[in-house]
Amino acid sequence: MKNMARFSRILSIEGVALLGAFVVMVTYFSLTSDSFFVGDSIRYYVNEAVPIFIITAGLTYVIIAGGIDLSIGAVLGLSAGTSLTFSMWGWPTWAAALVGIATGLLFGAINAVIITVFKVNDFIVTLGTLNIAAGLLTVLTDHKQLIGTSDKNFLAISETKVFGVTTAIGISVLVVLVFEFSLLKTSYGRRVYATGIGKLPAFISGIDVDMVKFQAYVISGGLAGLGGVVLAAHLNSVQSGLAGGYELTAIAGAVLGGVSLSGGRGSIWRAIIGALFLATLKQGLQLAGVDPLIYQIITGLCILIGVVLDKSVYGFALRMTSKNLAKNDQVLQQGRSA
Amino acid sequence: MSRVNSQISSASIRNKILMDPSFGVISLLLLVVIVMSAFQPSFATSGNVTNILNAMMTVSFLAIGMTVVLISGGIDLSVGSTMALTAGVTGKFITYGMNLGLAFVSALAVGALVGLVNGLLITKLAIPDFIATLAMLGIGQGIMLYWTQGVPILGYMSTPYYYIGGLRKIFGPVSIPMIVLVVVAVIVAILLKKTNLGLNFYAVGSSPVSARNAGVHVTRIKIWAYVISGVLSGVAGIHIAGRTTTIPPLIGNGYEISAIAAAVIGGASLAGGRGRVRGALLGALTLTLTGNIINIVGIASSWQTIVIGFVLIGAVLANRATQMFGKRIHLRTEKMDRKKVSA
Repeated sequence: MKNMARFSRILSIEGVALLGAFVVMVTYFSLTSDSFFVGDSIRYYVNEAVPIFIITAGLTYVIIAGGIDLSIGAVLGLSAGTSLTFSMWGWPTWAAALVGIATGLLFGAINAVIITVFKVNDFIVTLGTLNIAAGLLTVLTDHKQLIGTSDKNFLAISETKVFGVTTAIGISVLVVLVFEFSLLKTSYGRRVYATGIGKLPAFISGIDVDMVKFQAYVISGGLAGLGGVVLAAHLNSVQSGLAGGYELTAIAGAVLGGVSLSGGRGSIWRAIIGALFLATLKQGLQLAGVDPLIYQIITGLCILIGVVLDKSVYGFALRMTSKNLAKNDQVLQQGRSA
Repeated sequence: MSRVNSQISSASIRNKILMDPSFGVISLLLLVVIVMSAFQPSFATSGNVTNILNAMMTVSFLAIGMTVVLISGGIDLSVGSTMALTAGVTGKFITYGMNLGLAFVSALAVGALVGLVNGLLITKLAIPDFIATLAMLGIGQGIMLYWTQGVPILGYMSTPYYYIGGLRKIFGPVSIPMIVLVVVAVIVAILLKKTNLGLNFYAVGSSPVSARNAGVHVTRIKIWAYVISGVLSGVAGIHIAGRTTTIPPLIGNGYEISAIAAAVIGGASLAGGRGRVRGALLGALTLTLTGNIINIVGIASSWQTIVIGFVLIGAVLANRATQMFGKRIHLRTEKMDRKKVSA
């Protein structure tokens, strides 16, 4: 009885189901493939996924505030392009990195202005800026590949190793910590949740709803810029079409992690676990020698199963908890009447 | 008195035009067409007009289906992938020796099946529509890639299929897909405006809770919306297979975005409850016209996506601006009318 209560309490922590599924998957891949659970292999694919983690953090803000940002993938690609270009022109490392982040902030601000000031649908606006950013990257790269900056420091942004962990991973961990903290513990974070749960109630209780959304889009754009700088430093080459479709992976990861697309529910670490889940799945399938042509089928099925699992486990835990509470109430009442 | 009446009716006609959800886009389109016809001699030729009409077919079918889904408050990201899959079914089945009619029926059935699965995932398993259809997009693409092993499907064309794909015309510039599109558009428009099912789509999209309280079977209505979208993706698949004469496995990539864009440019709301077939066609025309003008004016290909991005935002902004403007005019004339009547 007591164990059951404890069990249901653990299950009712959101994200536990996904974490469980993640552990099962990692165990399975480690047992079936020798090269999966090896330092280099893990470092390699986590490094690859770092830009996705960074944009997932920003995207989570926007989704919790009740919006959506489809432009992040393309903006990330464009920021990678601008920062690498400036680095190749011989600008100092910090300036090149700033240019990349500024590109992201600019696109975030454009999204924010059109969505909050002109009240145009967020899906279409960010779809439009997606096209614009992707097109600008094509123009910038001129159908060729931007390759090779001579600035060693620029590459060091991603590739320096501290205790065997690359700075890219460090940056993404830092981003997650900082933004998760501000989401959960600052008044701005609370306002983001309030806006997502209900625009009107939030507005009535004195929250500048449009401002909250505005800031969320700017954060999302800025983090896409940062992700772009990290990616450019990691690859040291940028071509057109870079990071296309990252937004869909980020959205899928966030939803897997229990972020609600209707706003008001979710957290960054869970969204990141979702993104990590998808990245690990891809790596595992590759190492297991699965036909690349059916990756997408498996990924699609896993997303569906993951979302259903998350929902049903959470619902089950809620039912269990409420049943236990009811039982406790009964016991209490019996004690009182006796 | 009669003078006042006639004034009111002329004002109400003006209101109707200004309040039309796609008034902004229509005026923008007219402007562009006039400018283009004046400065580009190759634009307003019958050949180019037929080109535009042919090119807008595929997106139109998808956009009509998408509009139905959007009206019911959902979104369908799987339409492009379903279109590729049904095109693949058509092509493959014909090369297996099936006759044309049966191949078409199986393609439509596959489209309906995908729609049904989408609907069931969204309603019965309560998976968010965006994610469910995104997963179906991946699954459909994966099936197509695995089935074809990444190799384009060839050798399924026959004389009747050239007619059905619109590569050969039946008389003048009129091709079979055009007739099919008109028929489909009329049927869906009647379905939306005149039948219970259609009105229920609007009800469910505007407010699922009120719809359920009013006795509408919300689950069933939502599933129907996705099935209709799936079937129309099947129609688009049959058409595009005939138009391109080869089917690369990823032929449908990005079409879901065009379909959503077309529907929204045409006044459908992603929040549900609003949208029209006319609007979807208008949106498809806008997108196709953009591509056509880019080609005629000779804008470098790298700039094309940028232009499309601006057109997307511009079209929605134009709709928005005229809506606000129209509302203001409407209020003002109403006030004036009231004054006149009371005087």
